[in-house]
Amino acid sequence: MTTLASPVDVIDQIVPLAPAQPTYIARHARAKVVAATQGSYDGMFTPAIEGISVVERLLVAFHTAVLSKDAALAAHYRARLVAEAADPAFIEAVEAGTIATLESHRIATILGFTTKLIERPIEGDRAAVQALVDAGLTTPAIVALGQLIAFLSYQVRVVAGLKAMAAAEVRA
Amino acid sequence: MSSVIHINGFTNEVLDWESWLDPVQLENATPEQVAALDEMSPTAKQSAYFLLLAHQPEILLQRSIAFNAIMFAPGGMPRAERELGATVESRINGCVYCTSVHAQRFEQLAKRRDVIEQVFEDPLTAGTTAREKAIVQFSAELTLRPDALSATHITALRAVGLTDIEVLDLVHSVALFAWANRLMLNLGEPIFPAPAPSPAAAA
Repeated sequence: MTTLASPVDVIDQIVPLAPAQPTYIARHARAKVVAATQGSYDGMFTPAIEGISVVERLLVAFHTAVLSKDAALAAHYRARLVAEAADPAFIEAVEAGTIATLESHRIATILGFTTKLIERPIEGDRAAVQALVDAGLTTPAIVALGQLIAFLSYQVRVVAGLKAMAAAEVRA
Repeated sequence: MSSVIHINGFTNEVLDWESWLDPVQLENATPEQVAALDEMSPTAKQSAYFLLLAHQPEILLQRSIAFNAIMFAPGGMPRAERELGATVESRINGCVYCTSVHAQRFEQLAKRRDVIEQVFEDPLTAGTTAREKAIVQFSAELTLRPDALSATHITALRAVGLTDIEVLDLVHSVALFAWANRLMLNLGEPIFPAPAPSPAAAA
C-alpha cells in the first residue's frame, strides 16, 4: 500500500525547486522523511491539541523564524497568523523584538521560553518549565510547546540545507 | 567492549534521563499512545523520555517515523557518519545525554572511537580524515549558523566525495538533533550512573 502524501508540502513551498533539479530528486528520494516532516508540521498546528491555541503555536513559529533570520519561513507563519485573525499587537511585538513588554503574561512567558530554547538550549532548566506551569500550561500543552520549538529548529535547518544545496547546483 | 570516556563533561557511558514533568503511565496509555511508542523503538515504552512525549501521540508518531527514516534508511550516507553528525550537533548544544547515546552508536557501527574523543575535546577541529573533518565542520556550521549556510559549505562536502543524497542525509541528521537536543535539554535532565566501586571496575 502506498502512503498518500499530504497535498501540501510546506518545505517545497519555502524552497521552490523544479522536479528535475538534483536537490529536489535527492529530497524526494527520502519520501518517508518528506512525509513525516509534513506530518509533523500538520501535527504541530492541529486544532485537536488542547491547552495551547493554534494562534499561540503560530506566534511561537513566527517568533522562531524571526530569531532564526529565515525570511521565507517568517512570511509563511505571519500569513497564517493573519489568516487566523491573530491580534496584530502580538505580530508587531514579535517583529519589533518587544515580546517581554506584552501585556499578556502567558504569551510573554511562552515566547520567552521559545527564545531561550532556540538560542541557548543548554540553559533549559526546571525553573523555565515551572514558569510555564505557573502561567497555566498543562503537561500535555508543555510537551506540545517543547515539540513545536524543537521541530522548528529542525525545519529551519532542513530549509537552510536545501537552499544551500540548490545554490551549489548553479555553481557546479 | 571498551572503556569509558570522560572529556569536558561528556561521556560515552550509558546514562538515564529524568523527566521534570509526569510522563504518561503505561498502564493508562491509550492505543494511540502505545502505537506511537511502538513506532519509535521496542524499548520506548520503558523510557521516561518517550513516555513524556506520548502526551502528544500524533506528534510523537510523526517524529518517530522521521527519526527512524533519517537515522536508519538504507543507502546514502553510511550510518556511522549520520551518527557522527548527530554527535557533533549534540556536543555543541551541550546535550550530554544525546551525545552519549550517539557516541555509543558511532562506535558500534564504526568499531572505533578516535573521532568521538576528538569531538568531545573540540568539535570544531575534529576528524581523522579529510572527509570526516568536512562532515564535522559542516555539522557545526548547520548547528550554530543555519542562516549563514551557503553553496560554499556544500562544495566543501562535494570536494571530499559526498553525493547529493549523502549531503541530504547529513542535513537531515544534524537537523533532527537540533530537534532532539532541545527536547532532552528542556524537559528533563541526564542521570549519571553511581560511581564504580573501584577504578579497576571501569576497565
